[in-house]
Amino acid sequence: MTYVVTDNCIACKYTDCVSVCPVDCFYEGENMLVIHPDECIDCGVCEPECPADAIRADTESGAEKWVEFNRKYSELWPVITEAKEPMDGADDMDGISGKLDTAFSENPAAAA
Amino acid sequence: MNVQAPAKIMPDAQSVTAVTHWTDTLFSFRVSRPQSLRFRSGEFVMIGLLKEDGKPLLRAYSIASPSWDEELEFYSIKVQDGPLTSRLQKIEPGDQIILRPKPVGTLVLDALLPGKRLWMICTGTGIAPFASLLRDPETWESYDQVIVAHTCRTGDELAYGAQIVDALPQDPLIGELVGDKLRYYPTTTREASEIEGRISDHIRDGRVFDALGVQGWSAQEDRVMVCGNLALNKDIMALCEAHGLSEGANSDPKHFVVEKAFID
Repeated sequence: MTYVVTDNCIACKYTDCVSVCPVDCFYEGENMLVIHPDECIDCGVCEPECPADAIRADTESGAEKWVEFNRKYSELWPVITEAKEPMDGADDMDGISGKLDTAFSENPAAAA
Repeated sequence: MNVQAPAKIMPDAQSVTAVTHWTDTLFSFRVSRPQSLRFRSGEFVMIGLLKEDGKPLLRAYSIASPSWDEELEFYSIKVQDGPLTSRLQKIEPGDQIILRPKPVGTLVLDALLPGKRLWMICTGTGIAPFASLLRDPETWESYDQVIVAHTCRTGDELAYGAQIVDALPQDPLIGELVGDKLRYYPTTTREASEIEGRISDHIRDGRVFDALGVQGWSAQEDRVMVCGNLALNKDIMALCEAHGLSEGANSDPKHFVVEKAFID
């Protein structure tokens, strides 16, 4: 089992999850985070911490595609181990539907 | 000239200072605490041992000692063919274990709104984070009543928790704070005892409330922390929600919190 980040993280990237992850399994894209499914230990601490409610257990219906999505990008993006400021306009983007089609960037986060 | 193989380098090593075997399947141990490690009582860390291939094998363990303690204490099951516990159960004072210094968790006082009664509900080794919180003065300063409800299969599996609970009133640091605030509600599921059955059933039919002289849970007065097997966690979460309590988090404190990293 694993937890996964879903589309409501896009263009928000609050990063509260990063500071509570005991195994540093979050990876950072330009405007989204993902969880590495093989590194996540299912501790569940990040799930209630996400202000955008974007983190789900893979046992929930419809989660399979997000497991593959998280796996793909966690292998392309750099690890993130410390929380940072949310993206500009995060609160406005929180809850907007269809962000995967309209706002998602495949690019990795810029090097710090 | 003898060429020795280089010693395996163990990152984040800590030394074992004491080991207590409680039953054939349960033991507790204490390790040195890294000077820089700060944590909130109730949090967990990743601990483990090196595998044959030199890579670390780590599992999430609640810290059972309070945040002021000079050492760290852990409470563990022993699983015959468990990848980690089959080896961890053999540690002795002087041995080294790996301890990753990033404590996290939701079973913390910060994740709950102020309340009157704090319920600590657990099964098996799920007592560990409460062993930490029970020995933290802040717990007793924050609540009028603290209820420890621990369910195990047999009476001897309750021993570790019972010893910590029994010692609280005489504790030089917090005994006075504890006063008459502490209530202990141990139950067994596979052996006769004073109180038998699953704690969830005692909550559902109100037996535990009758025994403690409490009306039942309310969002105004009651705060619940849960650390047990998956079935217990699900049952108690549903009962909490049925009583109008909502799940809290560090970033959004509410009425109950659940430790999901617990594996029995």
